[in-house]
Amino acid sequence: MPARLSGRAKDLKSSATVRLENLAKEMQRQGLDVLSFALGEPDFSTPPHICEAACKAIAEGKTTYTPAAGIPELREAIARTVERDYGYSCAPEQVVVSNGGKHALMNVWESILEPGDEVIIFAPYWVTYPAQIGLCGAKPRVVRTTIDNDFQPDLDEVRALVSERTAAILINSPSNPSGAVLERSIIEGLAEIAAEADCWIVSDEIYRHILFDGRQHFSPTMVGDEVRERVLLVDGASKAYSMTGWRIGWTVTPLEVAKAINRLQSQQASNPSSISQWAALAGLEGPQDCVRKMCAEFERRRDYIIPALADIPGVKIGKPAGAFYAFPEVSAHLDGHIVHKGKAVTNDDQLTTYLLEDALISTVPGSEFGLDGYIRLSFATSMDKIQEGVRRLRRGLVGG
Amino acid sequence: MSGGSRIRVASHIAALPPSGIRRFFDLVSGMEDVVSLGVGEPDFSTPWRISDAAIEALQRGYTSYTSNLGMLPLRSAIADYLRTEFGVEYNPETEILVTNGVSEGLDLAARALLEPGDEVLVAEPCYVSYKATVSLAGGVPVVVETRAEEEFRLRPEALEAALTDRTRAVLLGYPNNPTGAIMTREDLLPVAEFAARHGLAVLSDEIYAHLRYEGQHTCFASLPGMRGQTLLFNGFSKAYAMTGWRLGYVCGPEEIIGAMNRIHSYTALCASILAQFGAIEALHHCQHERDEMIDAYNQRRRFLVNGLRAIGLECFEPLGAFYAFPSIKSTGLDDEEFAEALLEEEKVAVIPGRAFGESGKGHVRCCYATSMSDLRTALERMAAFLDRLPRQV
Ligand SMILES: Cc1ncc(COP(=O)(O)O)c(C=O)c1O
Ligand SMILES: Cc1ncc(COP(=O)(O)O)c(C=O)c1O
Repeated sequence: MPARLSGRAKDLKSSATVRLENLAKEMQRQGLDVLSFALGEPDFSTPPHICEAACKAIAEGKTTYTPAAGIPELREAIARTVERDYGYSCAPEQVVVSNGGKHALMNVWESILEPGDEVIIFAPYWVTYPAQIGLCGAKPRVVRTTIDNDFQPDLDEVRALVSERTAAILINSPSNPSGAVLERSIIEGLAEIAAEADCWIVSDEIYRHILFDGRQHFSPTMVGDEVRERVLLVDGASKAYSMTGWRIGWTVTPLEVAKAINRLQSQQASNPSSISQWAALAGLEGPQDCVRKMCAEFERRRDYIIPALADIPGVKIGKPAGAFYAFPEVSAHLDGHIVHKGKAVTNDDQLTTYLLEDALISTVPGSEFGLDGYIRLSFATSMDKIQEGVRRLRRGLVGG
Repeated sequence: MSGGSRIRVASHIAALPPSGIRRFFDLVSGMEDVVSLGVGEPDFSTPWRISDAAIEALQRGYTSYTSNLGMLPLRSAIADYLRTEFGVEYNPETEILVTNGVSEGLDLAARALLEPGDEVLVAEPCYVSYKATVSLAGGVPVVVETRAEEEFRLRPEALEAALTDRTRAVLLGYPNNPTGAIMTREDLLPVAEFAARHGLAVLSDEIYAHLRYEGQHTCFASLPGMRGQTLLFNGFSKAYAMTGWRLGYVCGPEEIIGAMNRIHSYTALCASILAQFGAIEALHHCQHERDEMIDAYNQRRRFLVNGLRAIGLECFEPLGAFYAFPSIKSTGLDDEEFAEALLEEEKVAVIPGRAFGESGKGHVRCCYATSMSDLRTALERMAAFLDRLPRQV
């Protein structure tokens, strides 16, 4: 054949996260004691009451196709959650349930983007964003943020990137990989720019439940009624309820977009797993203390790992306000003082390979997220492993 | 696009037609006492062993992401199954991708293979989403009609006639939804020769592979020279009564599966871990349950097809899937009028043939994956309906 691939397939690189994870697994298979800080999922199993709801659904034979956009019960529950958490009224018809937040987000892009369109995104960004935007034939336009301004975008830079082809501005707060939470004034400023440009705001709020220091989530949908008309919200059960493997995410959008997504999904994927839908419903409707407990545990780990990392010479780190990632700047260690397999380490990609092969800890290079000179460590792992991991990182970077 | 608000849906999505079948379901929903031969899914519950395996996995705390390709034990089980049942070899490490249903697999293939304007020959009548899937990926579906007189088999002459220099692939699904037609090895060979001669990829949707009531299913990839040129789609929805679990897979050359997996890793991540555990159990231990369901379908098939003929509808012998596709031309109604009037007057839901493409006109699809008593009632009501129609001369 015919192994002629389409241009979009050829352009798509597999992510470094996956490559590193495979390398780490291979080393583990060889018996090496590799500690992984690379993966982005909670280390908790799904809470029992949610699993029980799944078993019940199976026993009741709820194992057939559902409406493409999801069972009405779940769409209603999501709409109620939106009303409760965001304080605006939301019709179940505005909700479409998909195979995870990732799929939900892809549906959003496909519904609004045409070839040649542009989307303004902030680096560091989740790798999936530019990949999905590219798959739609559109281009990401990147505004860099850094640790020095707490990963808050400069509004003038954003404004300068707006063009006739700007279809959307993407917000991800709390952020993967930085853990940063956008300040309310910044979100309001972005909403203003979106209004001037008359473009969409796509808001990936999958980490909204994982917030520290008593913070409240602020979403662009909360800026006001007019702004909300241009916000396409993506959320899901993966991070809030430790339900990554179940594949349930959703979009909450103005009706016109919801209808488009529904049509698209009915042709491309049909409905998400019926069993997972009933489980997610139990998550949303059941007691929420599992969410609070998990969040408190992440906060405890953050409070350990951040000072411990800050204590390593040449490591610069702020205080992530949400999610479960530490994203230190390590460029002081990329001056060539580290030598791996006879070669000087001068970029973050080489550094993570060195850390994996020499210090036996797997991390993800910042360049994967569009920001060189950083590494990402997920602290969704046990305290013991975090302590040992930080020790290994220190040894890897400064010896001793 | 220049000027104007960007607050709108992309034009190609706004133009996407809703599936004809959904429109019909909307009519049905809200009506009471309807006997439905409409939805294409098994009426059986998922075999208990499968459910049990999934529940056990949950109890053991398996609720995380899996590898993008799917769990290796599942891919290995799929490889074993394909080797034993159909004599095709796939490397579970690199040539099998587990997807959220066959639906997702087809979508990934279209994205991985098609450049804007590339043409795909689609054997029609066909599953409602084939053409939309091709279009959404920027391709152009080119319909190749199959006809009742030829038992809805795909003929190489028809393919040849539709070929252009933009033709990139052939998409076919046998046993067929909606016609119930099958293709024997002898029928498939000329299609393979055609594909080989023109260097076309073959997308072979074999989700109904086990639902065969005569002879053995031939896997397209097992035909001479076809393994490197075929993408084989299969899944658990139909044969194992697992529609709601959303699990399918696609097998093919490493390079293409690799590209599809890269797209999948950015658009879906992985299939439900629970479903994957269930599917492993299905392949290892549920042949018996599967075959029992197939026996039941066969019994219902005979009953329905004989019944349809007895009440005066011409019906070709469907030897696969779980659909009968009688012609309703003798009634003087078109398929849409027939289906709507039958639903309104007698509360029997069947799907107008045109929902599966223009070439399905004049037929209706009746799914017999439903109880014998429902089939009996449906036939009685259809007989009453036909009796009231003015005689055609
Ligand atoms: C920023 C962000 N958005 C969305 C997701 C989607 O996760 P899922 O597809 O499991 O819902 C993730 C997962 O890693 C993420 O990091
Ligand atoms: C021919 C055919 N292919 C694919 C599908 C979709 O199957 P899945 O449930 O695996 O997405 C169907 C379902 O009706 C079908 O009939």
